Amino acid sequence: MLNLLVSIKQVPDTTNIRINPETGTLIREGVPAIINPYDIYALSLANFLKLRYGGKITVITMGPPQAVSALREAAEFSADKLILLCDQKFAGADTLATSYTLATTIKYLEQIDKPFDLYLFGKQAIDGDTAQVGPGVATRLGVPIITYVIRLEKLDPKKREIIVHKKVEEGIEVIKAKLPVLITCEKEVVSVPFSPVTEIIRANKVNPEIFSFKEPISFDSDKVGLKGSPTRVHRVFTPELRTRGKILNLEEEGLEKVINLIVEILKEKGIL
Amino acid sequence: MRNRLNYEVVIIGGGPSGLSAAIKLAERGVKTLVIERGRFCGSKNVFGGVIYTSSIKNLVSDFPQVEPFPCERPITEEGFFLISEKGLSKITFLKKEDTPQSFSALRAKFDSWLSRVALEKGVDFALKTKVIDLIKNFRGEIKGVVVERPESWESSNPAQISAKLVIIAEGVNRVLTQKAGLLKRDWSSEEVVLSVKEVIQIPKNKLEARLGIGESEGLAVELVGDITLGLPGTGFLYTNQSSLSFGIGVFLKSLVENKIKPYELLEKAKAHPYFRELFQEGEILEYSAHLIPEWGLEGFPNLYGKGVLAVGDAVGLVNPIFREGANLAIYSGIYAAETAYEALKRDDFSEKTLSMYEEKIKSSYFYKDFLLLKDLKKTLFTSNQWFNFYPQFFNFLLESYVSSRGREKREVLREILQELKRKRGKLGILRDIIKILKLFW
Repeated sequence: MLNLLVSIKQVPDTTNIRINPETGTLIREGVPAIINPYDIYALSLANFLKLRYGGKITVITMGPPQAVSALREAAEFSADKLILLCDQKFAGADTLATSYTLATTIKYLEQIDKPFDLYLFGKQAIDGDTAQVGPGVATRLGVPIITYVIRLEKLDPKKREIIVHKKVEEGIEVIKAKLPVLITCEKEVVSVPFSPVTEIIRANKVNPEIFSFKEPISFDSDKVGLKGSPTRVHRVFTPELRTRGKILNLEEEGLEKVINLIVEILKEKGIL
Repeated sequence: MRNRLNYEVVIIGGGPSGLSAAIKLAERGVKTLVIERGRFCGSKNVFGGVIYTSSIKNLVSDFPQVEPFPCERPITEEGFFLISEKGLSKITFLKKEDTPQSFSALRAKFDSWLSRVALEKGVDFALKTKVIDLIKNFRGEIKGVVVERPESWESSNPAQISAKLVIIAEGVNRVLTQKAGLLKRDWSSEEVVLSVKEVIQIPKNKLEARLGIGESEGLAVELVGDITLGLPGTGFLYTNQSSLSFGIGVFLKSLVENKIKPYELLEKAKAHPYFRELFQEGEILEYSAHLIPEWGLEGFPNLYGKGVLAVGDAVGLVNPIFREGANLAIYSGIYAAETAYEALKRDDFSEKTLSMYEEKIKSSYFYKDFLLLKDLKKTLFTSNQWFNFYPQFFNFLLESYVSSRGREKREVLREILQELKRKRGKLGILRDIIKILKLFW
């Protein structure tokens, strides 16, 4: 029996992202929210492991009341326990404050129930792209971390051992680790399951537990939300497209001339 | 293994008709499941944009005093814009009433609100789930549905969901209505309208200024005349909170025959000087296209069969001339729920019991409108003088009347009449008048 924890984030659907040209900020109004796609792979991996070895999945997220819908969608991956950290005091948190809040919650959950064997995160959120929250939580929990996991080769529940493949700049690292461990998932790690209809029906009506700033954990007010976030956003802007490829028009210039031009350019750059 | 998926009523489709039926059934304690293909209710459907208070009140009696408010603006001005090449005439009625009778709305917001109402009343939802077949017993009675998803993690076969009664609210593409044996024939391309629509965001405060409306006022107008590239059809313009819904609908057949692409219609219309100014600095938030079932009575399927009822667009409950659709879908859903409840009480799902639904539809006000529509369509859609010539002629008349140009007025009037005679002919005009008179007398 595995005790699995998945941490997810609700993000704006990037296919619909628009920037307000006057203020430079994201227009969130009317943009549908989705579960961060990398978190979907973390959920899928949790679901795969639960089906294979048996166990329990707890999903946590921090966000506004609307994040309930993200947790309901997460429930489709056979999640058993859903927790929403929702309080005005949590708002405006950067990765430091977020990892404090999540780690404190995880410690509390381990205290009232039993320790988790695996902590699953997406490799990064597609809105902020920092990839800091997973490592931040691991540090605060004092558990080892393996980032950018692309494959789970083996999990031995008896030996409490795991072998995973991790993406690095130069190639792939194969890592053996003792449980518990925190891993952050790439999309290759497992295929997204086609949830059964019973699960879909159940998920749509589950009500997540809501944790506030005061209940059931008392957080340190200096460490959560905007107050606990040293990051200050100076300005958000869309980078201007600076370089454009040179276009050689075949019809206007003719094939021979274009070829000569290309050769000339390549020579100029020292490629030929 | 015992079948865990057991419902009294299964509703296929989470649009206005399906959700209305679900709400009414759940209120009476009926175990109901709504199966919706989209990620959420309202994610896959399109409409122009007006919701009528009177129909919603049947579902949520407090409407429009609800939080969060699912609509955009109250409609306080409505009517027609008659469009010619260079300008347009506005014929609108300004309503100064305390309680607005209609609201503009966007479906993604409105339908998902309605689905939450249903969820709170105890309706089960299977979202992102496609129905692939109906379960029929040896007597040909429909006893449930088959969905693409399996029943459990252990299984990979499509799940069977049993039901005492199935309500088909699948919309204009009537795949399951056909499987249920309700379809008499499929629609033809002259019976469906392809409607293309854009939601265009207008910079703050400019929307009100450009249309001359207040912050809590809204406009809903039909566009007739030189806007459909000469094809029979109309356009529409509705105000949302910070955007405009702008669209054009023409019969699929005329698009095919004239080899016109749907977006060309919108592009041409947006190039009209009035709309170009209106949409200045606008940003397209949404582009959508959908078929509108305008087959009318002649294309209605059987409304009921053994263990099955059809509602909403699947039936063809759209009255294009009087801009009704979503509200008719709601009424049909309510009638279906009432019939289903009666059938459950009697534990009898035979055609005899379910024919009650057809009786309810036939005694409704809108069924009578469909009879009128049948005649109207024959008159209006057989030629395009109504959508093209007359609106443009009206503009010509008004323009000639209001511009002095230093000419004798008798001469101006004579010119107007000559223009009319030249375009329609004396007999033509007479015939048009008779046609219109015949409709209502």
